[in-house]
Amino acid sequence: MKHKHPRGLIALYLLPSIAVLFLYRWLPVMWNFFLSFQNWKPIGENEWIGLKSYQTIIADPVFWESLENTLIYFFIGTPIAIALALLLGLLVNEPIRGRNFYRTVIFLPYPITPVAIGLIWKWMLNDRVGLVNHILRSLGLIENGIPFLQSFQFALPSVIGTTIWQVVGYFMILVLAGLQTIPTSLNDAALIDGAGTIRRTWSITLPLIKSTLFLCFIIGIINSFTVFDMVYVMTNGGPGHATEFLVTYIYRNAFEFSRLGYSAAMTVVMFIVLLAVTFLSNRLSGGEAGGGRNYE
Amino acid sequence: MDRRILLVTLIALVALGSAFAGGGQEEEAPKELTLLTWNLPHYEEQINGWIADFEEMHPDATIDWVDVKGGEWSTYFQTQLAAGDPPDIIDVQGALWYQYAADGVLLDLTERFAAEPAVKDRFYPDLFEAAANFNGNYYMLPLYTPSTVLFYNKPMFEEAGLPGPPKTMEELVEYSRALTEDERGGFITLNFDWLYWPLFASNGVEILTSDKSAAAFNTPAAVEVLETLTALTDEGAIPAVTWTGRWAEPNGAFGAGQAGMLNAHVTAFNAFSSNSDWANEDTIGVASFPGNYAVPNYHSLGITSTTKYPDLAWDFVKIVTSDKWAQEIVSSLGTLSGNKAADDIALNDPEFQADNPVKVRMFEVERSNMANLTGMTGLAADSRIKDAVYTNLTRAIFGEVSAQKALNDAEKAVNAILAE
Repeated sequence: MKHKHPRGLIALYLLPSIAVLFLYRWLPVMWNFFLSFQNWKPIGENEWIGLKSYQTIIADPVFWESLENTLIYFFIGTPIAIALALLLGLLVNEPIRGRNFYRTVIFLPYPITPVAIGLIWKWMLNDRVGLVNHILRSLGLIENGIPFLQSFQFALPSVIGTTIWQVVGYFMILVLAGLQTIPTSLNDAALIDGAGTIRRTWSITLPLIKSTLFLCFIIGIINSFTVFDMVYVMTNGGPGHATEFLVTYIYRNAFEFSRLGYSAAMTVVMFIVLLAVTFLSNRLSGGEAGGGRNYE
Repeated sequence: MDRRILLVTLIALVALGSAFAGGGQEEEAPKELTLLTWNLPHYEEQINGWIADFEEMHPDATIDWVDVKGGEWSTYFQTQLAAGDPPDIIDVQGALWYQYAADGVLLDLTERFAAEPAVKDRFYPDLFEAAANFNGNYYMLPLYTPSTVLFYNKPMFEEAGLPGPPKTMEELVEYSRALTEDERGGFITLNFDWLYWPLFASNGVEILTSDKSAAAFNTPAAVEVLETLTALTDEGAIPAVTWTGRWAEPNGAFGAGQAGMLNAHVTAFNAFSSNSDWANEDTIGVASFPGNYAVPNYHSLGITSTTKYPDLAWDFVKIVTSDKWAQEIVSSLGTLSGNKAADDIALNDPEFQADNPVKVRMFEVERSNMANLTGMTGLAADSRIKDAVYTNLTRAIFGEVSAQKALNDAEKAVNAILAE
């Protein structure tokens, strides 16, 4: 009887996927890295300029402003979104009437395309005809409309708030999935011992969904470094560069200023920052992607 | 055994396919050129007319037309360049083409204009120099050439007791305040492509030094202008959307009666009048901006240097800018074409005059200010300089920094760009 060796067949079946991954991921990343040391020319050979683009980055105030905005989104916006998702998740995990309805309504914004959300909120935040200003005026909290997206003070919080609104439902679903994995016996035992709701949440629930929360953090990191469409639609980085994020600034340099080499250098720096933030988050959460100890 | 059958079958199929591919005589395909236009889907009939005239002249050639919205145009063109497959002929707005000329993307047409001077003589000299000249060589042909004028709401002016459009900057400021009440402001300007620059030019502020080696706008006069604009915005005399909107929002605001004056290029008339219930020849006034300064926002045609058919492309752009089709620009798009004879014919047409009194007035004002064009750097880095200046101006206007600091920062940024 012949013995079949499936390894060759496995490799054959994997080959198309690996080829696609190589062509559309690895090769462009490598090409981008080398481009970061060049001055891209649309016609003719690129000019090798070494570290000049990286030196320019150091001296570019707009780069630092966009990095700052990106990190503000991550360090402030993401924790707020996770905290809200956790609160909502704990609420809709209770056996209350209509909880499926609440879960659906809270999750609904997530599948909507960010461009549509950006347009909707752009009008909702309009200082003359926007719903938000109308409500604030009706409640007597303000006299004149607040130009949320035209104000250096409010533009960035408004954009971050919109992204939180969209993503909180998705985080809530992840939290709910995490909550389902907690053995009910643990909570029952804690109840018998006289532990209150807050105590049980802090000592049992949160530690056991740490990996879920870490996952939300990672998604939050990715979102903060890739939020392009909503910003483009709502403010296009303005007023000034008040809502300029790294990814929008990279786009602007590549496609408005034709500086593909400089944009490539910024993406390399962005990649390094992303790695550092992810590594730091993993260490702060106890390592092992937030796994830590499990209660049996 | 099964594997061998499969292998033999595959080889046979490949061989069969090759036989069909290689067999038979191929007919000679027509020469195909690609035309990329900037947001002209409404001009389909005329563009098809250009193509028909071209194909009649060259039965062995055809034009494939692609139109892209303005906001996506540069991204689209950039990706085509990176892919090594750019269109043969491009219609591009404003000064974006300077960068392409500097990068060798555009065909130098200087010798062609020298060989056929009648083509160059079609156009207004000042406008042609602005729209086609980069570093002493010519790369473009004007397609349509709107420049800025001052629109004003006549009923609002009457209501405020104002005698007519402002003739000086002091009057502009005074009238802006006089027109402001409740949520209505006095003045809006479009802000992209330097269109707001007459506010500074009228006070003697230049963007760059005459040799274009350094910023020239950081002056006491500029500080005064910026402080005035900040105060007017704070008071509501200039609605905030002036500085944060691009095209649709400011035009929409003027059309909705949210301000009494609008500094914009003439094509804005189509935009705000179609969305308003008050704008007509009796209610819209058109005047020169104080100091008679105007900023051109032309569209021009260029030929990419990688085209396989430069002579055919040249014939096509000559057809498009000929008297016949330039007249259509005036009557259909509502803007000057840049072709003097064609503009004269269209404007002297009694029917056009009777049907379009506001447009006739717009064009009179535009033509009277052609020697006073401002807001042009003539540099490949124009987009970056524009961004550096404007983003810093808005920081002052919205109270983030003082006017002096904003101008200092803008000057530093611009000088850094120029030093590269």
